[in-house]
Amino acid sequence: MILNLEDELLDLLSNLDVKSFIMASSAHEETDLDVAFVEGSVSTEEGLERLKDIRKRSKILIAIGDCAVWGCVQAMRNQEMSMKERMRKVYDKEENFYDVLEPKGLSAYVDVDLEIPGCPIDKIEFLNAVLSLLHGDLPEVKDYPVCVECKLNEYQCLLVEKGMPCLGPIIVAGCNALCPGLGVDCIGCRGPIRDETNAAEELNVLKEKGYDEKYIKNRLKFFGANFGEIAKLSKMLEKKQPGKGGK
Amino acid sequence: MKYVKLPKENLDAFVENLKTHGKVYGPVKIGEYYSFQEINNSKEMSLEYSRTMIPPKKFFLKLKERLFTFNEEKGEYKETLEEEKIVVFGIHPCDINALKLMDKIYIDETPDKYYKMRRENAVIVGYGCHPDEYCFCHSLGTNYAADGFDLFLHELKDGFFVRVGSDKGNAIVSEISELIKDVEGSDIEEFRAAERKREKEYTLELNIRGITDMLALAYESEVWKEYADKCFGCGSCNLVCPTCRCYDVVDNVNLNLKSGERLRRLDSCMLRKHGLVAGGLNFRPTRIERLRNRFNCKGSLREDTLNCVGCGRCTVYCPSQIDYVEVLKKVRGEL
Repeated sequence: MILNLEDELLDLLSNLDVKSFIMASSAHEETDLDVAFVEGSVSTEEGLERLKDIRKRSKILIAIGDCAVWGCVQAMRNQEMSMKERMRKVYDKEENFYDVLEPKGLSAYVDVDLEIPGCPIDKIEFLNAVLSLLHGDLPEVKDYPVCVECKLNEYQCLLVEKGMPCLGPIIVAGCNALCPGLGVDCIGCRGPIRDETNAAEELNVLKEKGYDEKYIKNRLKFFGANFGEIAKLSKMLEKKQPGKGGK
Repeated sequence: MKYVKLPKENLDAFVENLKTHGKVYGPVKIGEYYSFQEINNSKEMSLEYSRTMIPPKKFFLKLKERLFTFNEEKGEYKETLEEEKIVVFGIHPCDINALKLMDKIYIDETPDKYYKMRRENAVIVGYGCHPDEYCFCHSLGTNYAADGFDLFLHELKDGFFVRVGSDKGNAIVSEISELIKDVEGSDIEEFRAAERKREKEYTLELNIRGITDMLALAYESEVWKEYADKCFGCGSCNLVCPTCRCYDVVDNVNLNLKSGERLRRLDSCMLRKHGLVAGGLNFRPTRIERLRNRFNCKGSLREDTLNCVGCGRCTVYCPSQIDYVEVLKKVRGEL
């Protein structure tokens, strides 16, 4: 998404001294950094060591994308089975060949100064964050739900008026409610709001609307499996009988 | 107050005349909800609407807007808003009373030039309504607009009983003298009977006597915890409220790092950052505190009125179906 900033990229780069950006340049320097933007989830011991090294070298560490913030879809089955069981299911061996870890976002392991969520990120949100930093400001952190953007755009409430399983109330805004604006219920690609989201109530509301627990659990875990309350709900629901699927 | 009659067959011609006073907006049905949208003729409107999701405050305190652009190098800023004449057709009494409350804040107490300019550039045409199960405006005395409009239309069998509420309204009426008639005794009787009937249609009651005391006394109540557990903190209640008026601003800098723009959007006291101040202190860090604050704000007196007009929007649009009236009944110990 960063490289998709075609109109702004050259001006932006003229303000920056890029030491490493493997997707854009073969020049690569492992040195101390003012700001490190890190994407991807931590899913191996090797990745974790690399992250810790980057943290040590950087004044500001920014997680970009849902992988780096919450662990994204690869974390969807977290809490459901041990790494041994997973290895057995996939490779028929219990041995953890690749030192794989349960996928998690960066903040599970190191201090993160700013999170730019989204799967994918919104390129303008990224641009504004970089410009804020260059200007010497704190980037704007959106820590309110998608509902706010639906109301500001006067989009119909898909949850209230159409009974759709919209995750808007628990998912962090910043997408300008793109999907609900097109009549598509939010699946949560920007992840929950850290230390704030009321996931238990989303479960209640969707159950009241007739959706089944397993379906809701999968929906909540799609992008938010590592969010404390969703992990807790997931464990609770795992103990119950599995449901029959969607509405 | 001056009263005239507009025959039904002249409604479209009346709307045509209103167009000469600005862009005309009216309640339009979109899917399952209503919204004030620009209209070309009266047939595009759904005048029997219950309530719009977003109240007409959006015309005066915009949901989101750019206030100005700035240039730090030159030390200047340039306002970017445009003056526009508008007519808002079909506003219900609760929403008119809500605008009067907004006027007290943004015109009288802490003037907001953008709000004031837009109010001055607008013609308000009220429209009579019938309550549904969420309306409790009669409990707040906001089910009738005594003033705060230029013209107010009450439906009669064969026309509209029109109350003329301002000089602006009077000027419009004099422009359309060929479209209107004098009211007759039978029209007055029909209007009075309809108002009597409407009074009896309310099914929801909220006792507001002493509500400010009741809220203060319920500060430690379990009610707040009970509802905070249900609350998403999503801010929908504030954003659809016709009297909520908090906003937030953000500056975006351009690539040259010298110029930029200041944006403003409606804010909500249910959002975490609403109580966040410089230095990182948040004076309402939990949903319990935010929910209690919201109810206390709505239930606080502003001269002789509460910050609520009983429109029912916060209950209708709450994703977890928190019932505003039910909460206040629990605060009082009625439930």
